Amino acid sequence: MNIKIPVSWLRDYLKTDLAAKTIANYLTASGPSVERMEKKGEDFIFDIEVTTNRPDAFSVLGIAREAHAILSSNGQKSELTAPKGMDLQLDPDTTSKVTLDAQITDSKLCPRFTAIVLEVKIQESPALIKNRLIACDIRPINNIVDITNYIMLETGQPMHAFDFDKIEGAKMVLRQSRQYEKITTLDSQKRILPKGAIVIQDSKKLVDLCGIMGGENSQISKRTKRAIFFVQAYDPFIIRRTTQALAFRTDAATRFEKGVDLENILPTLSRSVYLAKKIAGAKIISELIDIYPKKQESKTTTLRFSKLNKYLGIEINPTKTIQILTSLGFKTHLEISQIKAVAPSWRTNDIDTDVDLIEEIARIYGYHNLPSTLPVGQVPNRQDSDLKKVIALKNALKYLGQTEVITYSIISKEMLGTTGVSEKKAVELTNPLTEEWQFMRPTLISSLTEVVAKNSHLKSAISIFEIAKTYLKQKSGLPVQDLFLTIVQSNGDFYKIKGITENVFEALGQKATYSKIKDEDKLFQANQSATVKIGDTQVGKLGLLNSAITDHFELQNQISAVELNLSRIYNLSTLSKSFHAISKFSPVIEDISAIFSIYTPLGDITLEIKKISTLVKNIEVIDIFEDPKLGDLKKSVTLRLTYQKQNSTPTQQEVNGERTKIIKSLETNLRAKVRK
Amino acid sequence: MEEKIKKIITQAQEKLSQAKDQKSFSDLYIEFFGKSSPLNNLTKEISKLAQEKRPKAGQAINKAKQQLEKLYEEKKQSIKKNLNSAKIIDVTASGTKRQLGHLHLVSQAIDQITEIFAKLGFSLQSYPEVDFDYYAFESLNMPAEHPARDDWETFFINAEIDPKFGKQVLTPHTSNGQVREMEIVKKPPIRMINISRCYRRQIDVSHTPMFHQFEGLLVDENVSIDQLKGTFDFFTTNFFGPKRVTRLRPHHFRFTEPSFEVDVLCDICEGKGCRICKGGWLELGGAGMVHPNVLKSGHIDPDKYAGFAFGWGIERTISMKTKLPDIRMFYQNDLRFLEQF
Repeated sequence: MNIKIPVSWLRDYLKTDLAAKTIANYLTASGPSVERMEKKGEDFIFDIEVTTNRPDAFSVLGIAREAHAILSSNGQKSELTAPKGMDLQLDPDTTSKVTLDAQITDSKLCPRFTAIVLEVKIQESPALIKNRLIACDIRPINNIVDITNYIMLETGQPMHAFDFDKIEGAKMVLRQSRQYEKITTLDSQKRILPKGAIVIQDSKKLVDLCGIMGGENSQISKRTKRAIFFVQAYDPFIIRRTTQALAFRTDAATRFEKGVDLENILPTLSRSVYLAKKIAGAKIISELIDIYPKKQESKTTTLRFSKLNKYLGIEINPTKTIQILTSLGFKTHLEISQIKAVAPSWRTNDIDTDVDLIEEIARIYGYHNLPSTLPVGQVPNRQDSDLKKVIALKNALKYLGQTEVITYSIISKEMLGTTGVSEKKAVELTNPLTEEWQFMRPTLISSLTEVVAKNSHLKSAISIFEIAKTYLKQKSGLPVQDLFLTIVQSNGDFYKIKGITENVFEALGQKATYSKIKDEDKLFQANQSATVKIGDTQVGKLGLLNSAITDHFELQNQISAVELNLSRIYNLSTLSKSFHAISKFSPVIEDISAIFSIYTPLGDITLEIKKISTLVKNIEVIDIFEDPKLGDLKKSVTLRLTYQKQNSTPTQQEVNGERTKIIKSLETNLRAKVRK
Repeated sequence: MEEKIKKIITQAQEKLSQAKDQKSFSDLYIEFFGKSSPLNNLTKEISKLAQEKRPKAGQAINKAKQQLEKLYEEKKQSIKKNLNSAKIIDVTASGTKRQLGHLHLVSQAIDQITEIFAKLGFSLQSYPEVDFDYYAFESLNMPAEHPARDDWETFFINAEIDPKFGKQVLTPHTSNGQVREMEIVKKPPIRMINISRCYRRQIDVSHTPMFHQFEGLLVDENVSIDQLKGTFDFFTTNFFGPKRVTRLRPHHFRFTEPSFEVDVLCDICEGKGCRICKGGWLELGGAGMVHPNVLKSGHIDPDKYAGFAFGWGIERTISMKTKLPDIRMFYQNDLRFLEQF
């Protein structure tokens, strides 16, 4: 959370000769970061980022306190002075008092309730107060309303002022709301409340949405004669739930959600009364109401020096640790091997264990004052995950001429429609950002086809790939999140996509088999695509994409793709390469030509030959052609066979014998006609 | 005899001048010097001559042989020369090369980051992107309803709520891998890098709903802030260049204590301060000493062990080396962009 602080205001409480820039640097190095410094006339405005665990620093006093602790611990001269009027005796200034009847139904809702009634003169605030509010982006209204905002910026404690005469029956009951109760807040918005919000009701109506915004019906106006000054703390969780339910948050709510310092409430009320007396001619006309059943206590935290020094990597002087903690407001007790510390009231919620103390000491000591060394421990014996292999695979694909893209894993309902996976099986977001980002994709093909479409006017030959997870719902538990490799090519050539797939398997050390997809597939064209298997495990599909998907992306030409499940592939053992003795004897190489039906797969032919002959060590397809002279639906295939033996050169007789066996089996089993 | 020799030489010269390529030229060798070459046949005829004519004939034949060898050698050299200067080569014209592809900037960064941390013994791990609330938040010291969760603007998944692990979310950071890694390794030392896609509900010129983060976790017996500093300096000087050191600023995360924001020295002004950086430094990411409650979630004894962790956005880290006007360009996948790298 960010806060703007004029340095002149800071200097009311932080007495130091240092320049604004120097103060900013010290703060940034050891405390809240000063992100920006704006020059405003003679003054500077600090724009400070305060982390959510430090609501105590979300104010002028909070920053002054931090700066003082940092400066003094770094040997810089600095003094912290308190604002005037924080410890007034809040007794009535008149004998004709009024009584405010305040009731808290549950102190857990409001751990401290303070209120006091004042007679006031409403007028414009003095220039100093107006200017400071404007510098912090708050609009001045009148002296009483301005005091409430000024106090919030100065002390970090939000406060509210009611018009006492608008509180019917001079009665305030603090309770939880019922569902659908209504209140019109100060910004004239009518709000319908959820069950359980913290509200205040007078004898007739709701007058306050506690911790968030006051009611319009009880606000301070020009005609207000008597005001209730009101400083509280609320249950942070209830405030947060309410702001979320109403989708409505204020500066006050932001502070209450983080929790406020209960011990600071009365001093804040006192200061507000002091200011009211000064600029609104205020007189106290009621007794002080302070309902504080359970006093806020800080616990004692123990930090062993051995642990502190271990964390810092250096040995720090125990006296220094005392000095640092004391400058931060801690009460400390030094023992031989450890320090016991009690956090100041404004840090009660933030300081819990010894590591919290380590942070306080280390940051004020200065992280820049610590050395920089490499870790000294043992290197763990831990295997890299598959991601390491993916890096190598990506490089292989790059050198194979493929270009990597990275597309969004979240897709639109429309794109999901192109994948063939139903919404029921897809992983869906309950709070999508827009319609574009609603489902987790079950395939990469649609996303990559879209990339091809977007780039097709720039290039004709596109070959892209992506390696990413896909997501599929399971009956129970997390969705299946397997890693996939998908390649999409704009040239729509089956053999090219098969070729790159074969290269990929070479890189992966696997051998795959391919069988034709004959049935209708949402993504791939029947008879123009194949399933890919390693052994019995199906690992993917490849081929030409269905026109349903290419039409959707308005692509004119055929698109080919391959999608492989890398998670499955990496689970399989790879082929190991071992040495095979190189035969000293030369092989016999012969060609066989035969006419087959065009439907006979080459895979079947080579399988047949391998089955029948042990002498054939290599089969190469030299030539395939179709010609009406061969006959209808026929093709001619020429195969180059290598006959090889380990211990001798095959004799002409052996080769003849094998050739006869092969020809016979091709003619019998594959109805081939061997050409002589 | 002399005339026959002269004829052989003349014929040979003719044949040599006609030989245009290496093959026909090599064939001539056998023709001139082989068993059935004219010169060799002549040598056989010496025995048919009268005794006193033989030595002179023999000398003449030898002389002819030498002359032939010389002519042959000359021709050989000139063919070699011609072979070499046969084509006219333009050395500035493109060669015949293979078309290389390109890796995405993010993958290139992942490669470099992995390599740098591997030198320090960090292994590369991978964790689910759709994960349980328990691993993304609760085990990291962020109980249910804690406002700290608001900082991440999380996407939620439409799925059954697990009684033990809670809702399913798209992880907004790679820190969901911390307790998972502790559960797998069980006993320190732990040194891991987790690089993954992360998701947050925001989009503008410097945010995309999906981005990449890399997480580091080190847990051991003697871990200190100076080791954290040293590790970061090692990374930034190797990734960005020498002199590009880091600094730590106090910050807050629920899962680390102390917590830091890590800055790297600005390369443009070298720390003096300029328009681009914040006072000489550029924000890199968050880090801290692992909170004892997180160690406890991973069943590691916080009294015996300590650790540090850090999580940095990869796109942001890349942008510090390669200036890009709009982070959304990373995922527009315009080939004209991708092919620049």
